[in-house]
Amino acid sequence: MKKVKFFTNFDHEEQWLNAMARQGYALVRKSFAYEFAQVQPENSNYRMDYRIFKTRQDFEDYKALFEDSGWTHIAGTKSSGSQYFKQTGEQENEDIFSDVDSKAARYKRISDMWFSLACCFIPLFAVLISTDAIDATAFLEPKLLYYTPGLWDKSGGDFWRAFLFETPFAFFRGFTWLIIPVMIVVYMVFAYKAKKQYQKTQQGR
Amino acid sequence: MNRDKNLPLTETVYYILLALLEPAHGYLILQKVEELSAGQVRMAAGTLYGAVENLLKQKFIQPVHSEDSRRKVYVITDGGREILRQDYERMRHMLEMTNTIMG
Repeated sequence: MKKVKFFTNFDHEEQWLNAMARQGYALVRKSFAYEFAQVQPENSNYRMDYRIFKTRQDFEDYKALFEDSGWTHIAGTKSSGSQYFKQTGEQENEDIFSDVDSKAARYKRISDMWFSLACCFIPLFAVLISTDAIDATAFLEPKLLYYTPGLWDKSGGDFWRAFLFETPFAFFRGFTWLIIPVMIVVYMVFAYKAKKQYQKTQQGR
Repeated sequence: MNRDKNLPLTETVYYILLALLEPAHGYLILQKVEELSAGQVRMAAGTLYGAVENLLKQKFIQPVHSEDSRRKVYVITDGGREILRQDYERMRHMLEMTNTIMG
């Protein structure tokens, strides 16, 4: 089974994965979506870290350390960031972090990642502005985005059919560039939320 | 004399450096730290990984050749020995003072 869900809080994500396991869905892979295998309902202990590795060797060393310490690496790749672990035996619920600073630091790493991603889009946006690729007239006179000849002279059903048909095209013509500033804002919001969570976790709340 | 800004070391860092007087890989460090601290300091994998990363950055430890292709092995550097010695002196002084006043 596949499920698409988005989290900005690792603790909530871990709890959700544990709840899924109690219903008999065990995480097997994570790409864009979470992939679950149907299993006997179980009381699992999933934990998450956030790390991107420079080399394959670093990644292997990291996984080996967790495996030695009683954690199975379930999902995550060298550069996926999110790393999913499941406690191997049936011991008491343990954590992959033993102090608040290291538990909080994963939020710092993901916050930095969102922030640098947002920054990548800023020069792109600047180029669009400086080359006049953004047409402000689209806001002032949206009629100009419609190319159907004689559209505005039609009336009644004829008009609505032609108008509604072209609207999505007209929208893309005029507003595709909006994706970039929207992405910048969205990534900045994620970076901010992760930063807040970092501070909150550090204070042990 | 100005004191090194890395002093005082945290309990976990002190034990990790002490453990790495001999080369060890990640999990072995965890076990040694637990043993050296008489079971008082039980570090989790994620926390140790971050601590090792910091110590590498500070050049208090360095990677050495490993027989194991998967597990990296680390050992203390001269800088690491020096900071360990300074923290030891710091704590010894504290103990002496405490002993003089309370003992």
